[in-house]
Amino acid sequence: MYIGLDVGGTYTDAVLLEKGQVRAWAKVPTRQDLLTSLLEAFDKIMAGAHADLIERVVLSTTVITNLIAEKKYDPVGLILIPGPGLDHSHYRYDTETCILGGAIDYRGREIVPLDSGEIDGALARMTSLNYKKVAVVGKFSSRNNKHEQEVFKRIRQSGLDWQVELGHRVAGQLNFPRRVMSTLLTCATREKYQFFADSVLAALDKRGIRCPVYILKADGGTMPLHKSLDSPVETIFSGPAASILGVQALIPPGETAVVVDIGGTTSDLALILSGQPLLSSKGANIDGKMTHVRALAVKSVPVGGDSVVEQVGKEIILLSERMGPPYCMGGPMPTPTDALKVLGLTRLGDLGRAKEAMRMLGRPLGMQTWEVAARIMLLVTGAITSEINKMFMSWEQEPAYRVWEVLQKRKDRPNTVVGVGGAASGFLTQIAATLNCYPVIPPYARVANAVGAAVARPTLQVSLRADTEQGTYSIQEEGFQGPIEDRPFNEEKALELARYWLGKRAEKYGLKDDLGEVEVIRKEVFNMVRDWVTRGKLIDVAVQTRRGILHYIGSGVERDEK
Amino acid sequence: MRSKPTGVIFFPAFDWAISPTHPEREERLLYTRDQIFEEGLLDLPEIEEYPPKLATIHDIARVHFCVPRVQSQVTEAHMIAAGAALSLGDSIIKGEIKNGFAMVRPPGHHAMRVVHGNRGFCNINNEAVLVEYLRRRYGIKRVAIVDSDVHHGDGTQEIFYHDPNVLFISFHQDGRTIYPGSGFTHELGGPGAYARTLNIPLPPGMTDRTFHYVVDNLVLPVIRDFQPDFIINSAGQDNHYTDPLGSMRFTAHGYAEFTRKLNPHMAVLEGGYAIETALPYVNMSILMALAGINFSNVREADLDTAGFRESDDRFAQVQKMVEELLAIWERRDRVDIEKIFGTGKFYQRKKFIYYDTDYIEEEQFEKVRVCGSCPGYLVIESRANRGFGEPARVLAISIPIDACQNCQTEAYACYEQGMVDRKQYNFIMLQDKSTDTCLSCDREKKQEWKSEGPKPGV
Repeated sequence: MYIGLDVGGTYTDAVLLEKGQVRAWAKVPTRQDLLTSLLEAFDKIMAGAHADLIERVVLSTTVITNLIAEKKYDPVGLILIPGPGLDHSHYRYDTETCILGGAIDYRGREIVPLDSGEIDGALARMTSLNYKKVAVVGKFSSRNNKHEQEVFKRIRQSGLDWQVELGHRVAGQLNFPRRVMSTLLTCATREKYQFFADSVLAALDKRGIRCPVYILKADGGTMPLHKSLDSPVETIFSGPAASILGVQALIPPGETAVVVDIGGTTSDLALILSGQPLLSSKGANIDGKMTHVRALAVKSVPVGGDSVVEQVGKEIILLSERMGPPYCMGGPMPTPTDALKVLGLTRLGDLGRAKEAMRMLGRPLGMQTWEVAARIMLLVTGAITSEINKMFMSWEQEPAYRVWEVLQKRKDRPNTVVGVGGAASGFLTQIAATLNCYPVIPPYARVANAVGAAVARPTLQVSLRADTEQGTYSIQEEGFQGPIEDRPFNEEKALELARYWLGKRAEKYGLKDDLGEVEVIRKEVFNMVRDWVTRGKLIDVAVQTRRGILHYIGSGVERDEK
Repeated sequence: MRSKPTGVIFFPAFDWAISPTHPEREERLLYTRDQIFEEGLLDLPEIEEYPPKLATIHDIARVHFCVPRVQSQVTEAHMIAAGAALSLGDSIIKGEIKNGFAMVRPPGHHAMRVVHGNRGFCNINNEAVLVEYLRRRYGIKRVAIVDSDVHHGDGTQEIFYHDPNVLFISFHQDGRTIYPGSGFTHELGGPGAYARTLNIPLPPGMTDRTFHYVVDNLVLPVIRDFQPDFIINSAGQDNHYTDPLGSMRFTAHGYAEFTRKLNPHMAVLEGGYAIETALPYVNMSILMALAGINFSNVREADLDTAGFRESDDRFAQVQKMVEELLAIWERRDRVDIEKIFGTGKFYQRKKFIYYDTDYIEEEQFEKVRVCGSCPGYLVIESRANRGFGEPARVLAISIPIDACQNCQTEAYACYEQGMVDRKQYNFIMLQDKSTDTCLSCDREKKQEWKSEGPKPGV
């Protein structure tokens, strides 16, 4: 049996899955004392089930997202080695930032060495400002990490016991500013994250659950909880990822669908294209800055059931803020939920108060209560459907760098709109009608996120880049770089080597048995020609374990997704 | 209000090459990609990346007489490179972006009006396709094209040689020392477009000082005078001091500064084959200059301008050339055209064109109708020797967008005559830019094709 657990800001949801069926589910408030909430949720779903029968537990959480949003973390100092390129005034962060000279180029060649005096100066400055956490990031450090290593060595030689994060270990992809943000956030959240992980482990221990524990990542894959301590930022946005996977598990395979999660103040939108959730082409945007965190594409619209509705002049407008519960539930201002109540689309609240809310808005305009309600309905569904259309358009507008990619650009339109979250049911029919789709509210929609966590499967990826002219290769995800030993080296050997590293990584993560089929997601070979002679090859390959989910719920049989 | 972003289409065609070791191969923009991605330039609010789209066959036919047909001369990669320029053009006219950079390959500035094959790594002239598209679709009148490639932009020059509404300026390494061997100061345009073509051949070894002397004293004043509605930069990067084919000594900073001064609506990548030492830096700094981002910190890895000494004699030579050209430009509307080009109903010239990539030798006899009320239609008799089989003989007629009724009628008569002419052309083609119609006839197959552009407002 599998347990799926979603620790949100307001509620903690849990489900117990047995052979692709939901056996029990629970929704309890998230309290200050995390342990108590977790225990309460466990006890509800475990009634009558023995702890020994649990094969695995998967968590998803918004704890890290909230930490970052509320800026509840210790200050992190930045030591950057940007070299030539953008003017250094672009690298301004609201924390102490020391910039060192020194440069590495796109092929990992050292252009300008570091100056040891400058390093010492930066360390002295951080010390004097009392920084205990420091992120060190260099441009092209994923092509050659020499400079980051040198600074790290110097920190330790100077006897400083700071928590240090190096850019190449956090993010191996190209894009220096995103690497800086990812490294900074990793450094900032590690300690708090440890506390969260410890609480979870303690709760499981108290109930005698001793199976492997995983956590969901923003890209919809899982990793073992203890391993996630290396890269806590990977788990931000695992909340939205969980509901998307949940929907994927709750609708028929291969469907193209829009997932609409309407909450109190925001609505999260996501796309499932031919059965696969869409990954964001850029890394996750955290706190207004781009990062390297691979994430499912989620669009947040500031509209929800509790959004304030106002009458201004001859218009009724929807504001993005919340001023309390809906009027029909004792709140101060009219909201979309009041409109739903008047239209008979929700069971919540008091009809009299809901009508009163509509009258307040309608009186100056000479509109009937039902007219006002219908207008609000249109405003909400309009805001949401226009964002959905924009999402499809921007997906079609993704850049392409190869002839075949341009030629096979697809146009895909959804046939289903799936609603999850509190206020979804009331608006769904209207949204679906506008998009010419079928509205679907799957069973267990209220705990779709916990279901998503339960069915998520481990994903591991390895990207290998080899430069045969220089005789070196690197593994992006491991921050590894070393010499090519098996020469002459070619594409096949590169793939073999990447698979080997994937196996090694799987072992490290305790996933050896779950590895399954390995997919090649990128394979690029460039001949390096100088003076009409081929001097070497640049080989860039990436392999990953297959994406997907473990079960489709309700199909009754355990099976892998095709 | 925040100013509009710069649009960029990056199309490195990582799966297209002329041949595996050819300079125009997959690897060419690889390091540029690495540099631009690592800098995170595409995440900046000043820059907006667009996906490429395909140009249509008709977009190509509006400019080129491809022999025997458009489809036989272009690959999808060409359609995408040209399409990228069109797509950015759309976004500029619609006001979504302030300017654009089509960072695409394959390049195009050596492709002439008649296309029998590939010359100078080019099949399709991306800039010319853009110009005709903008004129047809959006009614743009006057266009200036400044070619900053080390090689003379002979294709672009040839296409607009008789067009008074397109100003073409090219500075490049002296044609006596480099392909294609043309681009001298006496090439000034046809009788109807005198001095609308200006060439500045530079002695090898010149540096940013000369580059900017020419820009400040000739290029910018002439453009100010011409008052174009749209400025295009054919952004070749092989004037760079590390280029393996050229012998000039310009730097990335010099290119960026030039872009800032010219402030073109669009830059279209042309040549540049120092794929590691120049392209990552030059491409990046051009993009930054267009977007108004400070580029002073972009520096080549091995830059050491201390060794760049120019010969004073050569610099004086360039100064003199600039003065002469400026004088020609200023007198352009007062000169006695008949004295230069002779009198008669037609101005005609003979041309010999060599296709270096495909080893084709083409002979052309070009006639332009000298007309008082329009730029006049063009008749080209072309004969291409491919070194095997019978040479291909083509009659091509081009009617300008602002043609008068008389020229149009005469041109169509000429097309009809070609069908029955004793000279036995294999192919007879006509492009009528005034109605956006292209006709093409294969005499042996007895087949005629016709294509029309989208109706206005579609």
